[in-house]
Amino acid sequence: MKILLIEDDKLLRELLSKKISKCGYEIECACDGEEGLKMLQQNIPDLLLLDIIMPRKSGFEVMVEMKKYDNLKNVPIIIVSNSGQPVEIDRARQMGVKDWIVKTEFDLDEVIDKIKKIEEEKIVK
Amino acid sequence: MEIIELGKNEPQACSEAQLAQIRDEEFRKIRMAFLNILEDTEDARQGAVKEKNKTLTIVDNLTDGVLVLDENNRIELTNPLVDIFLKQKQENLLGKNIFKIKSKKSELSSLVALLKSGKKNKIKNIFRKELLLGDKLYLEVTTVPLEENNNNRGTLIILHDVSRDKFIETIKTEFVSIAAHQLRTPLSAIKWTLKMMLDGDIGKITAEQKDLLEKTYQSNERMIALINDLLNVTRIEEGRFLYKPEPMQMEDIVDTVINNSEEILRMKKTKLKFNKPKELLPEVLVDKEKMSMVVQNLLENAIKYTNLEAEIDISLEKTDKDVLFKIKDSGVGIPKEQQERIFTKFFRGSNVIKMETDGSGLGLYTTKNIVESHSGKIWFDSEEGKGTTFYFTVPFI
Repeated sequence: MKILLIEDDKLLRELLSKKISKCGYEIECACDGEEGLKMLQQNIPDLLLLDIIMPRKSGFEVMVEMKKYDNLKNVPIIIVSNSGQPVEIDRARQMGVKDWIVKTEFDLDEVIDKIKKIEEEKIVK
Repeated sequence: MEIIELGKNEPQACSEAQLAQIRDEEFRKIRMAFLNILEDTEDARQGAVKEKNKTLTIVDNLTDGVLVLDENNRIELTNPLVDIFLKQKQENLLGKNIFKIKSKKSELSSLVALLKSGKKNKIKNIFRKELLLGDKLYLEVTTVPLEENNNNRGTLIILHDVSRDKFIETIKTEFVSIAAHQLRTPLSAIKWTLKMMLDGDIGKITAEQKDLLEKTYQSNERMIALINDLLNVTRIEEGRFLYKPEPMQMEDIVDTVINNSEEILRMKKTKLKFNKPKELLPEVLVDKEKMSMVVQNLLENAIKYTNLEAEIDISLEKTDKDVLFKIKDSGVGIPKEQQERIFTKFFRGSNVIKMETDGSGLGLYTTKNIVESHSGKIWFDSEEGKGTTFYFTVPFI
């Protein structure tokens, strides 16, 4: 399974990608929304891990853009954000987001569990 | 006995002249007295006018808006700040019943709505509440009943501009919010790094290293909890804390919180008894997450501030209009002289600081705010060394 991670913090990006590739997944990283969108169009992933508060283009802006493209609008998304306000989570769910992870509330193995869940759903389909 | 013979010593003509003189003299005295009275009255009148003008000048130059209503709610007096705050001309207000003035300006109708709510609630004789007019003008409205020998003489309304205080409060809240969010990124990085090391993802570690890393991980978790508490407080202060209340059974919330607390209950060997209501209670309208936080905070405090193997009783019952939650512990209690500060932000009791240094002093502040934003009330009975009972209510739907 191919995963794209869009996250602006360098250390968090490093930690997440290390853990994910250790668990046997193929992972690519982008450091903000704009770079992420370019990478999305070049190589469509099976899952997108997306931060919300980022320079240049926020996670919400990335999702709005993705809806415009047929080949991107159905890519499963898990939000990995510092913020966890119910109003934002609701908005993201309405946009079709699969899950919302508040970084401080989850450990990396729990993030992996969520990735596995998406993988299983994909296999069932 | 002396007998005066009239007309013998005083000839009649002389007597008449004398009488006329006496009469004139009397008239003169009366006139003088009358003039004196008139003069005094004029002095008094002038004095009163002077005093009145002085009082009006003071009222006009107050830095608060002032309205005086008579006993029939007619506006008797306003000062220029009222015109500015309410965007009304004084002549359009004077003599009119404040509750019956029709105005297109939202400022006046907002004030009237606030005054009506104050009358309905009858919270206290003196009623004080904040009012936002337009985008930026925050007024603290105080109404004071005017009484003269126990008779109602009307109402004094004071409009105090607190916009600057509000502005500073907003900046402070925004600062805490941004700082807390910024802190979350490095805290996540620390959390994830430590977890990877503990899980052996970066290589094998010794038992001693593992022990230290675990302790560091727990410290970091405490820091995360503190940041979360601070963020909750800023959300409360920004007025965006409650989210989509839904009908629920309080019993379900209490059950879930107790289940989630099993580990700490086991660690402290606490005997917890939940006296469930015999019949199903009416549903309440609550933000589930926040109401769980209230029960959790009160339960955690009860566990934290009691000794090993202590007893805690929780009960839920129905009153006239509310569901009443009660939690009784046999813990350290709250020192009497500190009881009134217990719901204040960052406050921690002097006795609990000694036994447990960990704690933000934000739990009960947050708890009280959540209960009150559900239109409920919270209070407690406590005796130092014997224990505390906290109560809170949530109204039925």
